[in-house]
Amino acid sequence: MWELFRKYRKYFIVISLLLAAFIFYSWNLKHKERANLFERGVLNLMSPVNSVIAGLNRGVAEIWNDYLALVEVRKENKLLRHNMKVLNSRLMESREALVANERLKKLLDMKNAMQTPSLAASVTGEDASPWFKTIMINRGEVDGLREGMPVVAADGIIGQLVKVVARSSRVLLITDHASGVASIIQRSRARGVIKGKGDGTCSLEFSLASEDVKVGDTVITSGIGGIFPKGLKIGEVSMVKKGEYGIFQTVEVRPTVNLARLEEVLVLLQQPAE
Amino acid sequence: MLTAFKISAFITAALLLQVTILPAYLADPFKPNLLIIAVTYLGLKTGRGGGFVAFALGLLQDCFSGIYMGLNGFSFLSLYLILNLAADRLYTNSRYLMLFVVFLATIVYGVLHLLLLLVFPPATGIYLTILAALIPQALVNTLFSSLLFSFPRLNALEESR
Repeated sequence: MWELFRKYRKYFIVISLLLAAFIFYSWNLKHKERANLFERGVLNLMSPVNSVIAGLNRGVAEIWNDYLALVEVRKENKLLRHNMKVLNSRLMESREALVANERLKKLLDMKNAMQTPSLAASVTGEDASPWFKTIMINRGEVDGLREGMPVVAADGIIGQLVKVVARSSRVLLITDHASGVASIIQRSRARGVIKGKGDGTCSLEFSLASEDVKVGDTVITSGIGGIFPKGLKIGEVSMVKKGEYGIFQTVEVRPTVNLARLEEVLVLLQQPAE
Repeated sequence: MLTAFKISAFITAALLLQVTILPAYLADPFKPNLLIIAVTYLGLKTGRGGGFVAFALGLLQDCFSGIYMGLNGFSFLSLYLILNLAADRLYTNSRYLMLFVVFLATIVYGVLHLLLLLVFPPATGIYLTILAALIPQALVNTLFSSLLFSFPRLNALEESR
């Protein structure tokens, strides 16, 4: 027996080990939900090491994500900021183009509606003194402009040309004290002369007290004087004062065009009557 | 030659600023008149030859202001002569005095305009506009001159004189 065992010892051991492993496995099948003594020992021994290694791993991962990956994020951030600036400037340009388009469309409508040939011009400067009201435009004699030509915007008249030089001209605004435009009240046809008051408003001079003028009335050019064509809008009556004495009434007129924010104007190419 | 070039550059810059750039940001009557500051400086700091420069500055201003050529020429020349006569009696190294003189010069400039426009009445009612704008403009000019006179280069130029 002993001889037989010694002869096949290797096979016995292998079979025994396999059997033991099989028994161990089959015995554990019954208690598969619970940790056995071996499992407990191994897990208890390894859990602190596991925790340390997991912590180290997290640290390395954090370093990788927060620092090394930030190099890319920084580059990306720079690129995004640059893109944002470009897009913002494009947005501003498109908004500006939209506003300019609306303005120019109005001006073009006005140009098409006019019988007289006209020329568009840009405003390049304002009067250097606060008590005179003139503006500078970028068109002059070479463009066919002459002193006395009327200047209008989409909403109404602005003034007339004075001091025309080769490539620029000055426009005397209707709000300047030296300006005078023959006009009528559109509703009642009452006549008068629009004079500038120097403060952004005008007054209707020489309007008889008996004439029918009310606040809100539209004032238009009368065509008398030969400078402005008849029927162009000048402004709206903002105040009427009739004294007990005197033959004239005091009428204040607010121009329809915002003269403080002019950018483009239309010069009517008609030679004023001498 | 270099000084003349610098003065010309300053006057060109002042005119451009006054006519093109500042009106876009400042409403009437708070637009400064930088040439008045230049004339004040000339009147207090230079000899009689500065009169020609003051008159030329006035004519230059007339090209960009109003429709009455010569109005500013006369006003600037008068202002220059008044300041030049008073310069010997004033301690012109004081910055505060310079600012006060700029304030007064603007008032005198406005009054001269008023008189000239009333004597030769091309524009009725303008006196109301001038009177309303005079004090604000004098204050704005004083403010701008305080900025200009605080430039170290200008102070160095004064000291070298």
